[in-house]
Amino acid sequence: MKLTVANTAQLARQTWQLTFTGDFPYSSVQPGQFVMIRIGSGTEHVLRRPISIAAVSETSLTLVFRVVGEGTRWLSDRRPGDRLDVLGPLGNGFPLPPAGAQVLILGGGIGAPPLYLLAERVKPAAQQLDIVLGFQTATDCFWADRFASLGHLVLAADDGSLGTQGTVIDALIGLSPQGRQWDYIYACGPLPMLKAVKQYFAGQEVQGYVSLEERMACGVGACYGCVCRTADHTAAKRICADGPVFAWNEVAL
Amino acid sequence: MNKPDLSVKIAGLHLRNPVMPASGCFGFGREYAAYYPLNLLGAVVTKAVTLKPRLGNPTPRVTETSAGMLNAIGLANPGVEHVVAHELPWLAEQDVPVIVNVAGETKDEYVEVVRIISQSGLASAVELNVSCPNVKAGGITFGTDAQILQDLVQTVRKVCTIPLFVKLSPNVTDIRQLALAAQAGGADGLTLINTLIGMQIDIRRRRAVLANRTGGLSGPAVKPVAVRMVYEVAKVVDIPVIGMGGICSGADAVEFIMAGASAVMVGTANFTNPRACPQIIAEIEQFTLEQGINSIAEIRGCIA
Repeated sequence: MKLTVANTAQLARQTWQLTFTGDFPYSSVQPGQFVMIRIGSGTEHVLRRPISIAAVSETSLTLVFRVVGEGTRWLSDRRPGDRLDVLGPLGNGFPLPPAGAQVLILGGGIGAPPLYLLAERVKPAAQQLDIVLGFQTATDCFWADRFASLGHLVLAADDGSLGTQGTVIDALIGLSPQGRQWDYIYACGPLPMLKAVKQYFAGQEVQGYVSLEERMACGVGACYGCVCRTADHTAAKRICADGPVFAWNEVAL
Repeated sequence: MNKPDLSVKIAGLHLRNPVMPASGCFGFGREYAAYYPLNLLGAVVTKAVTLKPRLGNPTPRVTETSAGMLNAIGLANPGVEHVVAHELPWLAEQDVPVIVNVAGETKDEYVEVVRIISQSGLASAVELNVSCPNVKAGGITFGTDAQILQDLVQTVRKVCTIPLFVKLSPNVTDIRQLALAAQAGGADGLTLINTLIGMQIDIRRRRAVLANRTGGLSGPAVKPVAVRMVYEVAKVVDIPVIGMGGICSGADAVEFIMAGASAVMVGTANFTNPRACPQIIAEIEQFTLEQGINSIAEIRGCIA
């Protein structure tokens, strides 16, 4: 379906926000779902770009993405009024925790956007919501104020320019002395970070979910381009159609 | 004005129109059935089926290139037993001919899978995949040696009670030799082209983008090569040819038909636009109306 660009903004280094309006099933969007956007006519760039949904209202959809190549560069050059072919919402989102849960959300870099919509949905019923976001440097950081309005936000930057110096895990270790106990944990970010998070909570009685990323072609489960292995390595899961969110015990990271 | 007749008859199959998805680009049909009824298509062509389940290659398996893409999926599929039990019964209810793509590592494996598919009564035809560039054993080795190909087709033919298509590789010196070998082996039709072997390098990381290093190139970039090969093959064989390679529009499809194809397959375009096939069918219909063409046969192979 064609959506209209309502506004665009550069949020951080190589990081852009695009808000769309138009006919879209906004009310059905689950946090963690994504859209596939056609780049230009689709002849030069034959593959759509998968972008996670960062925020949604009754009449608009907001995406936050990083410019990593020609396709995302083209997206960042869109202007209000441009009409784009947007397919979605696609994939399965994060299962929400029960009321009264103690929730921890962990985002690494451009893995943070889908966690914003998740935090919004989690906040009303959660007893505790801690959010840890890690970036390479302060100039990569975006939406800190928006996340801070939803829960207790802890920031980290690899170069020490923001919050805790180090990774999301370093910031997490800093939270532990405060006696935090969580029962639902959600993470999205680079694979090494997801591995470290899963390992950090190994043996603890927590429900952990991760959102995975991979180069995609169809985005709907037909091509088997984006796959991961099940935890026992006996079968494959399609990240676009079976995920992108998985219980971290279900998949091999 | 009368609606033009787009129906075609190929190797005993009656197709409503000459457009079908290419193997590997359409799963087993379920995903695209969410976008349109599959009986709008001329036929459905399944992902490659092997004897045992295959997990496929490591990721990244796909990457975009200029006007195309590379893939190295590695024939990931749940195996013939699962496909016959769980995928084909559903497909058989969709009121559309079903062509099952079959791959193998050995001659015995091809024979066994074709026998099972053929006996299941759930498939309309078999497409023999002798041209997958992304697996180490079998596949392309059967598709690049005329003698080996003819022997394989001959052997498979004996257990195949439904129409048998052979999908040809473009990664050969003279595709006509392979086309003639498949015909001599008893193929009822040919499908071409499979992907061209390619490679893309990430110069900042100094490594190949695909985990498999090389992959199959598809999309608009390969179309002129594909049209040329369909043209060459259709001139020398007596069996029908189904053409594919970068078809994104009705105009692209008509090019293949004029080059000699009786029908076409649409691959990469399904990814760009999940409704690509029905759109291409509508565009072919529009073209035939504009040009006063009464049937596909009128323009097939019209290029001297």
